[in-house]
Amino acid sequence: MSIPSELKSSLRPLTTSAFEDLSNGLMNWSLWARMGWLEVKRRYRRTVIGPFWSAVSLAIMVGAVGAIGSALWKQDPFEYLPFLASGLVVWMLISSITIESCGLFVNSSTLFRQMRFDYSILVYSLVWRNFIVFLHNLTVYVVILVLMAPQQINFNILLVAPGMLALLINGVWIALLLGLICLRFRDILQLINSLIQIAMFVTPIFWPLNALENSARVVFVHFNPLYHLITIVRDPLIGKIPPSEVYLAVAVITVCGWALTYVVFERFRKRIVYWS
Amino acid sequence: MATVVLENVHVDFPIYGGHRSLRRVVFERATGGLIKHSGGKSDRVSVKALSGLNFELHDGDRVGLVGHNGAGKSTLLKVIAGVCEPTSGRVLSEGRITPLFTAMPGMDGEDTGYENIMTAGQLLNIPLKKLESLLPQIEEFSELGEYLTLPMRTYSSGMVTRLGFALATSIDPGILLIDEGIATGDARFVEKAAQRMKEFVGRSSIMVIASHSNEMIQSTCNKALFMRAGEIVAAGPVDEVLALYSDSPYEAAAVGAG
Repeated sequence: MSIPSELKSSLRPLTTSAFEDLSNGLMNWSLWARMGWLEVKRRYRRTVIGPFWSAVSLAIMVGAVGAIGSALWKQDPFEYLPFLASGLVVWMLISSITIESCGLFVNSSTLFRQMRFDYSILVYSLVWRNFIVFLHNLTVYVVILVLMAPQQINFNILLVAPGMLALLINGVWIALLLGLICLRFRDILQLINSLIQIAMFVTPIFWPLNALENSARVVFVHFNPLYHLITIVRDPLIGKIPPSEVYLAVAVITVCGWALTYVVFERFRKRIVYWS
Repeated sequence: MATVVLENVHVDFPIYGGHRSLRRVVFERATGGLIKHSGGKSDRVSVKALSGLNFELHDGDRVGLVGHNGAGKSTLLKVIAGVCEPTSGRVLSEGRITPLFTAMPGMDGEDTGYENIMTAGQLLNIPLKKLESLLPQIEEFSELGEYLTLPMRTYSSGMVTRLGFALATSIDPGILLIDEGIATGDARFVEKAAQRMKEFVGRSSIMVIASHSNEMIQSTCNKALFMRAGEIVAAGPVDEVLALYSDSPYEAAAVGAG
């Protein structure tokens, strides 16, 4: 070309690698935190109790399922209700991240068609806003725990923090991967919705793990990644230390999930705007 | 020192779904880019929006893009903005790039004027501190007063464009990319806006504007590019290129298969 080479050195190509996207996006926390917060605000604007609506419906569900479940699986209600509530709180976080991630890129296409954009900002914003809703839901669990099983409160609760961090790190790759797939193949959204419903029943959320004791079907639990992702937060919530099997499984899920997502994102990042 | 370099840039848009209706379009030989079937069993259809563009822009260039609908003007702007990465070839640039395809990116009617200013400002890559210091003059110029504390769905469309214009023109754009000009609101505001627009463009180092208004291109540009079917037909001084453009028949792009 006609430009002298010393000028060319300061020119940069307009391409962004997957790593740059993920790290620049993360650094821009003020933007994604803001977008996530505004989305929560927007959803509940002009309602009186706002995001606590989701907590109210959770409380009703815990009450109803708790009444039946404790009889069904012959559990002590004072132990079963905290178990159920903690499981549901964490499950709602995972399922809402999964379901919303299907619309991640589809619904934001007006944004990234207008300007060069670190797509990961959308992902962080999605995980962040679901975490905010989770904190609201958590109040239900805290009330139940304090009223019904104060003896379960102990220092193991501190393990919630690392467990939560691991869960959110996994939430990011799940949202990014599903967001990409659902943008390209619009049918996947329906599939995910039905799979999530099935997953709720085959994962030990309502029923205690020991109900499957002595049954070969316990494989539904040990090879179920959702079980491990839930347990890593749920067990500390009810005052237990998660089994080391769970930490190992979550480590494997994190590494494999991120490796797969990174490869897909690196390969197809530049196609996102064409797919939208 | 701002520069934009395009080296042999091609852009193909794949079309997913709706093959049949597109096939009809092919036979009708409508306007637009080259529609091609990539052959084979998949029979994927793609639109060739840009084919093999080469040019350079330097400080002080004020370029007007002209061409019929579907000639590739908007696609070219998106490629320079980094929104679309070229299918092949590459785009190099130096300097901050400000695409103004919508005046208020990320706008949501449920959020207040202030909230939208902060979101859009951050999307336009304005640091928070800078944004806060720009706020008084945005308030003053948009003349929206108390309205800024209300949700934007309560605004008239003119008020929305005024706020967007006030925000967008408050920054130092660097390489400024504009598609079809920016709307500015009612008659009284238009005059005030024209002056501000002039200053805004003056602060940019390079400007590229796509427009169907010859007056706008004559008044703001010092160069023009005439595009047809994703290719540059002519480039050079505004008057010469515009003359060529107005003489050109409204002809359809060549369409090929395979």
